[in-house]
Amino acid sequence: MPPRDPKLENLLSGVAGGDEAAFAELYQATASKLLGVAIRILRNRELAEEVLQEAFFKVWERAGDYNSSIASPITWMATIVRNRALDEARRRVIRPSGDESELENIESGDEHPIAALERAEDVERLLRCLDGLEPEKKEIVRLAYLDGLSREALAARFNRPEGTIKTWLHRSLALLKGCLEQ
Amino acid sequence: MTELDDIDGLAAEYVLGTLSREERLTVADRRAVDKALDRAIGAWENRLGSLVETVSPVAPSPNLYNKIRAQIGLSQHVISLKSREQALARRANRWRNAFAGATALAASLAGVMVYRDAIVPQPATQYVAVLDAGSDKPAFLLTVDTKTNMCVITAVNPPKQSDKTYQVWMVSDKMPKPKSLGMMNEPGEMQAMPMQAGPEMDLFMNASFAVSVEPIGGSPTGTPTGPVLFTGKLIQATP
Repeated sequence: MPPRDPKLENLLSGVAGGDEAAFAELYQATASKLLGVAIRILRNRELAEEVLQEAFFKVWERAGDYNSSIASPITWMATIVRNRALDEARRRVIRPSGDESELENIESGDEHPIAALERAEDVERLLRCLDGLEPEKKEIVRLAYLDGLSREALAARFNRPEGTIKTWLHRSLALLKGCLEQ
Repeated sequence: MTELDDIDGLAAEYVLGTLSREERLTVADRRAVDKALDRAIGAWENRLGSLVETVSPVAPSPNLYNKIRAQIGLSQHVISLKSREQALARRANRWRNAFAGATALAASLAGVMVYRDAIVPQPATQYVAVLDAGSDKPAFLLTVDTKTNMCVITAVNPPKQSDKTYQVWMVSDKMPKPKSLGMMNEPGEMQAMPMQAGPEMDLFMNASFAVSVEPIGGSPTGTPTGPVLFTGKLIQATP
């Protein structure tokens, strides 16, 4: 079972019923986090805001499809944002450039200490499992998931053939899966 | 060590985001028909989803929410107008067909002249206003035939008023005050009135119609004095 989030679940069910106030509250509660997700992948605020706009439009239209036994609300919404952002990134072939000044503030400090305290148990478990990977492999998973790097981009970044990256990825993911199932 | 099978590996890389554009499109298509792949993707979304919690939030531009609202408001507006019009047209047609026979009989029994052509005219020239209180049962039906220039008002099924009468009004911002179209009481009762093509008809087509409860003999002031129970506007009955 995915972690429960009664507040966001209620808001989503309100949105499914066409409740505009619930939609406004849902936006308030999640937009900053989701924009953070989109900007990390797209490296461009304007583009990321466009993706966020489309994603919230989709949330408004599809809230009725949300099923709390399949995903937590934030995972469901983040998946919509990530898929849109990744499609856009692949379409435009966004690669990490030498100039990352725009992202310095975003990518530097990992997160606020208070946020770390408030992290849910499932986050802790995933991070523990990630820590079980070799540092380079852990970095690859994070760069792929959070920054949207493709196999090709990872190969260039780590100076390895794409086949090697693929093997590393599959091994790391299998280890993660096994660790999370313990 | 756990090994990922092909489907699980593909699902994991899809969720991780490492696939090329072509591979992503292929997986997106395939998951629609491949339930095992779709489930595997869902499972990986849950496994890795918590990583999102480690991303630093970035406040959106202040106007972004208004843009989203506008996008939603616009599409909602279009949908609601369209579906409401279609629903009204369906209802109007249903009632028109049901009452075309019944009211003709009732009216002829009552000795009222019936303009049959006005009730069941050529489709493209028929307009109907369903006057109701927002419920599913129309109380009054107002039809206009732009071919015969005839308006027929039918008291379909209004609740019985003991010592009062219903009065039908036309309301328009082009007129200083509402215009009375007549008084009606009995279910099945109808009134037909000829109209003039041109400005009068145009005014009529764009007006709203309302039914108020008035003393027997009609409003003493010439405008509605009692509660307005039913309202409606003309729409094309058979698009």
